[in-house]
Amino acid sequence: MLKLVGALVIILSCGLIGVMIARSYSLRPADLRNLQAALQMLETEINYAATPLAEALRSIAARADKRVTPLFASALAELRTTPGCTAREAWEKALKTFYPQTALLKSDLAILSNLGRALGISDRQDQTRHLRLAIDQIGAEIDRAQNEAARHVKLWNYLGFLGGLIIVLLLY
Amino acid sequence: MPKVYPLTERAPSRPQGGVSPSETGIPTTRAAKPNPAPWQEILPFLPPALNAIITNLPAEVLGKLEEIRLRQDRPLIIGLPGEDRMVAQNGALIKDCARAYLVTADDVQRVTQLVSGCSLYAFEEELKNGYITLPGGHRVGLAGKAVVEKGRVKTLKYISSLNIRISREINCIADPVLPYLLDPMSANIYHTLIFSPPRCGKTTLLRDLVRQISNGIPGLNFPGLTVGLVDERSELAGCYRGVPQRDVGMRTDVLDGCSKAEGMIMLLRAMAPQVIATDEIGSRDDVAALEEVFNAGVKVIVTVHGSSLRELAARPSLNYLLNLKVIERYVLLGRSQGIGTVEEIFDGKSLTPLMKNITSRSPGKE
Repeated sequence: MLKLVGALVIILSCGLIGVMIARSYSLRPADLRNLQAALQMLETEINYAATPLAEALRSIAARADKRVTPLFASALAELRTTPGCTAREAWEKALKTFYPQTALLKSDLAILSNLGRALGISDRQDQTRHLRLAIDQIGAEIDRAQNEAARHVKLWNYLGFLGGLIIVLLLY
Repeated sequence: MPKVYPLTERAPSRPQGGVSPSETGIPTTRAAKPNPAPWQEILPFLPPALNAIITNLPAEVLGKLEEIRLRQDRPLIIGLPGEDRMVAQNGALIKDCARAYLVTADDVQRVTQLVSGCSLYAFEEELKNGYITLPGGHRVGLAGKAVVEKGRVKTLKYISSLNIRISREINCIADPVLPYLLDPMSANIYHTLIFSPPRCGKTTLLRDLVRQISNGIPGLNFPGLTVGLVDERSELAGCYRGVPQRDVGMRTDVLDGCSKAEGMIMLLRAMAPQVIATDEIGSRDDVAALEEVFNAGVKVIVTVHGSSLRELAARPSLNYLLNLKVIERYVLLGRSQGIGTVEEIFDGKSLTPLMKNITSRSPGKE
């Protein structure tokens, strides 16, 4: 009887791990898409309205999907509260707390921190170029993330349970 | 000899619609909130390293600090009245450039970012003009590589030199001049032209004149007038997002960042001013606009670069203005008793001096 319960626990927990991994695969495209939309808003703010960065960050934090708002909200808070803080430092700090809460990969982080390096330091055209670049790069990542998701989500959903089953069979 | 308001006696009562002193008796000082010293207002725009250096400057130096000059890879220099000094890492003033604090590329970049609120793209117009105005009316001059398009400067990049100019308002600097500029007959002011070589306090005098004329001068029984101020270079009112940061008086409308010629006409049409004031006129357009203002019966106060009437007359556009014989008072400033010394005041019609070199109140020497 005890054995049976143990086997059940193993199968369930392995299954759960599988589901979680699958979820991270399916979350990443969504996160990337939200991020892309937010950056597009930033581009509009900068290119068409020439809104000062703090103002732009505030309006994006208010409008964007709530999975990506922490990035803009904390960059804004950093910019407002730390004396002598540049946009790059604020962005970098915000990324550090934002990244672990998302399904993003290191390569996605690199795109964002590259963008941070250029944020606010040049004229509108140049800002637009950098933002466009980031948006395009994220677009490419979205395609890749979707392909991966299509392949991995099903795989991991099954693999978890099946892996648990195998362990149980081996131990039985 | 034209009539002037006596400094102490009350002005003759006006024929009709006289304004009692209580109506004009407005507070001459701002609200009671203690304002930070001018140099403190620029501290938020300095990165921590520079902030520490400036804060460590001796107190008497900070009191008269005029400029902070940052040039990439060169010594940090501060401008004081009549001299400039290099600054060491610990905030001491030194003469030996080997010990001076060398401004790094990072310093320059950070200051550029901070003064622009990390949004340089929002300051295209300002970059074209080469300066950014900070809250408090302080100005940051910028130099670097100009990006030229179709023969005009489009923007600046690789900014490498910054000059932070600390702006001070000196209230009551206009007191010795004012009695000569008020017209007792019409309770208005005379058309006034203030001229001097650069850095003699024209702008400061004009600002205080505008403030007092706009608030009214209870001591001289002078009611306040509606003043339109065209502040092309944001120097007079030091506007930040359109709101004057300097006290330019309660009846003053400021048109910030607008070209003088266009601005004067706009104010004339839109704001019905009794007085129009502007800084540093010179071009033909300016003079043409001034003529329009004269014709509308609005009084003007303007400033011009120049050290003598003869020098003014040598400039074609100004010569034309002088020949109109409309200007009623010429005020010449100098620095013989410090910045802002009033050297002479002429009557415009007869060109006779009304007053020569008052020394009692020279703000440059405290």
